[in-house]
Amino acid sequence: MTLRTGRASASLARPRFGRLGVVVLFPLPALLLYAVFVGIPIIQAAHYSFFKWNGLTPLSNFVGLANYQRALSDATFQLAATHNAIIIFLSLAIQIPFSLGIALMLNRRFAGRWLFRLVFFAPYVISEVIAGVVWRLILQPDGLADGALTAMGLGSLYQPWLADPNTVLWALFVIISWKYFGFHMVIMLAGLQGIPRELEEAAAIDGATRRQAIRYVTLPLLGPTIRVSVFLSIIGALQLFDLIWVTTKGGPVNASNTMATYLVDWGLRRFQLGYGSAIAVILFLVALVVALAYQRFVMRRDIDGAMTTGPV
Amino acid sequence: MRSRARFAVLLTTASIAFAACSGGGASPSPSSASSVAPPPSTAASAPASQASTEPVTINWWHIANNDPGKSLFQKFADEYHAAHPNVTIKITVLENDTFKPKLQTEIQGGNVPDLFQSWGGGGMAEQVDAGVLKDITADVASWKDTINQGALGMYQYKGKQYGIPYDLGMVGVWYNKDLFQQAGISAPPATWEDLLAAVDKLKAKGITPISVGGSPATWTEMFWWAYLATRECGQETMLKATNDKDWTDPCFVEAGNKVKELVDKKPFQEGFLAANWDGAGGSAATMALQKSGMLLQGQWAPGTMQANTADKKAVPWNLGWFPFPSVSGGKGKATDGFGGGNGFAVGKDAPPEAVDFLKYISEKPQADRLGSLNTGFLPVTVGSESSVTDPQLTSVLDARSKADYVQLYLDQATSTDLGNVINDAVATLFAGTGTPEQVPQTIDASAKSGG
Amino acid sequence: MATESVSLAQSRSEAGRLSRVAGSSVRWALLLVLTGVIVIPIFYAVIGGFKDNYQLSASPMALPNPWVVSNYTDVLGSDTFWIQLKNSVLIAAITTVVVLVFASLAAFVFARRSFPGREVVFTLFTLGLLFPSAVAILPLFVLVRTLGLLDNPLGIALPQAAFALPLTIIILRPFFRSIPVELEDAALIDGCGTFGFFWRILLPLSRPVLATLAVLTIVASWNQFLLPLVILSDQANWTLPLGVSNFSTQYSSDTARILAYTSLSLVPALVFYLFVERQLVGGLTSGAVKG
Repeated sequence: MTLRTGRASASLARPRFGRLGVVVLFPLPALLLYAVFVGIPIIQAAHYSFFKWNGLTPLSNFVGLANYQRALSDATFQLAATHNAIIIFLSLAIQIPFSLGIALMLNRRFAGRWLFRLVFFAPYVISEVIAGVVWRLILQPDGLADGALTAMGLGSLYQPWLADPNTVLWALFVIISWKYFGFHMVIMLAGLQGIPRELEEAAAIDGATRRQAIRYVTLPLLGPTIRVSVFLSIIGALQLFDLIWVTTKGGPVNASNTMATYLVDWGLRRFQLGYGSAIAVILFLVALVVALAYQRFVMRRDIDGAMTTGPV
Repeated sequence: MRSRARFAVLLTTASIAFAACSGGGASPSPSSASSVAPPPSTAASAPASQASTEPVTINWWHIANNDPGKSLFQKFADEYHAAHPNVTIKITVLENDTFKPKLQTEIQGGNVPDLFQSWGGGGMAEQVDAGVLKDITADVASWKDTINQGALGMYQYKGKQYGIPYDLGMVGVWYNKDLFQQAGISAPPATWEDLLAAVDKLKAKGITPISVGGSPATWTEMFWWAYLATRECGQETMLKATNDKDWTDPCFVEAGNKVKELVDKKPFQEGFLAANWDGAGGSAATMALQKSGMLLQGQWAPGTMQANTADKKAVPWNLGWFPFPSVSGGKGKATDGFGGGNGFAVGKDAPPEAVDFLKYISEKPQADRLGSLNTGFLPVTVGSESSVTDPQLTSVLDARSKADYVQLYLDQATSTDLGNVINDAVATLFAGTGTPEQVPQTIDASAKSGG
Repeated sequence: MATESVSLAQSRSEAGRLSRVAGSSVRWALLLVLTGVIVIPIFYAVIGGFKDNYQLSASPMALPNPWVVSNYTDVLGSDTFWIQLKNSVLIAAITTVVVLVFASLAAFVFARRSFPGREVVFTLFTLGLLFPSAVAILPLFVLVRTLGLLDNPLGIALPQAAFALPLTIIILRPFFRSIPVELEDAALIDGCGTFGFFWRILLPLSRPVLATLAVLTIVASWNQFLLPLVILSDQANWTLPLGVSNFSTQYSSDTARILAYTSLSLVPALVFYLFVERQLVGGLTSGAVKG
């Protein structure tokens, strides 16, 4: 898509702000707010990462890169990182297509549609704390899951999934999907709203089946939205913390740790703020690499030139 | 469609209006919101009589966020204020898990409360090293002997006093007498072998022998290892470990061996690795519902179990308590205890009235009132033990008085950090992923690296 | 040929209609099953609030017996719940308004103007999404204190808005970009300045996505715990998530009451979603887009 510079129209009606004015003034409030409340704390936190600090004493024990070395060589941290990778993979393979399917289904008008949208979004609204509490109650021995399976005669299938280091991550993934697919559904619904119905109707008139219409018309137009959703899913999976913390605190024996739960456990709970900050920076850098690579290779056509090739 | 939206708007505005009209906040203290600034400069060195005429504010942070403890503490504050009208006590009461991060940020921000919840030991020592606490050795010299010395010692560091305890308990084995009878166990186990035999008997009758917590509550698993370590190692070696960071004594491996012995019998409730301690479905609830025979816990256990009963009163079966069994060949004594309690540390900017208030709540009448609540507070003022009338709690008190030595919870005796390392290491024993040798190795390595 | 194509079209539409009917029942069945599965935990939480701890542990499958209404009535009858509700609403409202206004302005420029360094600045914004905010809490606390915003709703709303900016801008950008240039040119010709186009044409056309982002921001603010905990001191300023902690102590927690409390806290957020959901239904009308 080409962007015209507006030269022609400038002579017809002088815009109140010059072009430069717009470019500078419009983002300014956001930039200021961001620089103060996000930039400064992050830089501070990165600063802490070079110290050994328990949050009580003055910041004096400079240790250079020791915190980073420690994190990268720690087996528990490496394990946590692999858990993140697994969750990313599962999210992309299962959550996104599922959310997309639901959004497509709920995009067509039918009676009671609002009720379904409400129900599917509700898990996202529930706070992580309550989601954790409720799911633990459901999954515990003699809990709802156990009772339901027994009632169906499948009682032998039940296991205390959260208590077994081999199954806890999968059980958590189910809970994570339950909680977050509503988020993606809502974003895709918004994207679907932006696709004019005429296009789909035109396709139908031309003889396309519904499936073909979706595949050749809707999905490509939904492309940018899907790519944003995937991006957010990956970043979210990297930062996954709340739900896991409340449900298992990363256990049992680190079987469900993610980099973020490791960070809070080791950095904050144990008052090793310098170490925690270093892990945060590592997490940040990983996410940054992913984000840049994603922008460069995947979202390229949406941005008309990713950062690495310069602006249009 | 439209009416639905209108209804939603109505609901929202109604609730906001309701909230706006429902009046002011529930500020807990008798005074209005006075500032958090440090007290006037006359505080530190002025004699008590001079300071008593100037208005003084004491910031008191405690964690008894539910009744009856909450109301009792409020009463203490009100009574003190009545006796000393110029002293206002501003109470901040927070639940335990919200208290810790909040205290941290307050201190970081330079705002140390005058009196705040403390568990003593290494955690308190860290605060002393950071210059956050006030040395009250001289201030309490005149009345410190009215407090149980063992408890008092937990709030000392390098020979100086930094806080005053109000409660000290001991961990022991709570058991279901009815289930024991069913299994044919005639007397509470006195030795470790007796305990293992009891486990076998309970299992034979299809009763879960022991209830324990897991992933979010690994400290309940740690109790087993810690007690066995106390029995195997004895006071001297334990103190060498916690104070000098030396965990290399083979007695710690022996403790792990015994834990493994127990774990191998699979005596715990199903899914224990993910069980919480409190709340519905936790290990306390399992015990309360008569689904297990034994529970190794502190003096608060009956209270937690009670919260999980049908009528929120005492458990409807026969509850008993016996001290942790003895271990033959161990250097520790069978009377040694493992436990801890609660107390208040004094912030560095606290006025002398703060310590005076501490004296007030430590006096026998107040300690008696605390004990008589029978909610698990075991007061430490000499002579107040009799205020506790609940028969279970009295057994705990008995054992406490017999103990020459009470080992403080390991995550308090050392640092929060090392405490977590210990919990994690012991958890591997329960999950079957670690060995008895690895546990003290991991702890030692972490302790020595400054953990 | 015409007749052939007509009958072909006819039979296709016949088949189409049949498959639509069949498809729609399959769809309905699927939706109902999914609804059942998804709603169970929520249902569980709401019903759980009518139990007590004992019932939750002893008979998790059964309906409450007896129905413990006091959990809900106590919460609804307490001053603190409504006050905390009011605070939560206030903070969520401020956060959302700030985020939407600031982010729209910024996203507009990222989407529809080119200038040197555009991608760099945009990437700078996305960086905020990548940093775990838990670690930033301590420096954030010090910052808010320096600004004198402790115990102040702004002390929470402004940082929340700042951290919500990246997500909002990332989502807005493709939407703003998709509005055709012709529209902007037409607006300029009609005498609208850039800001006029932004305010009177772009934003109204973007209602679905703005509404979506409003909902997401409100939900995120609604459930925030750590930030309000460290910033707020006076309990009169507490938000709903903080209030939950009153149902636990050092040694035990009243799970049933927690469930009741949080089920009630859910309601306002869901109500708002219902309200906003109408915007998602409305959507783009075709008139504006016809080139």
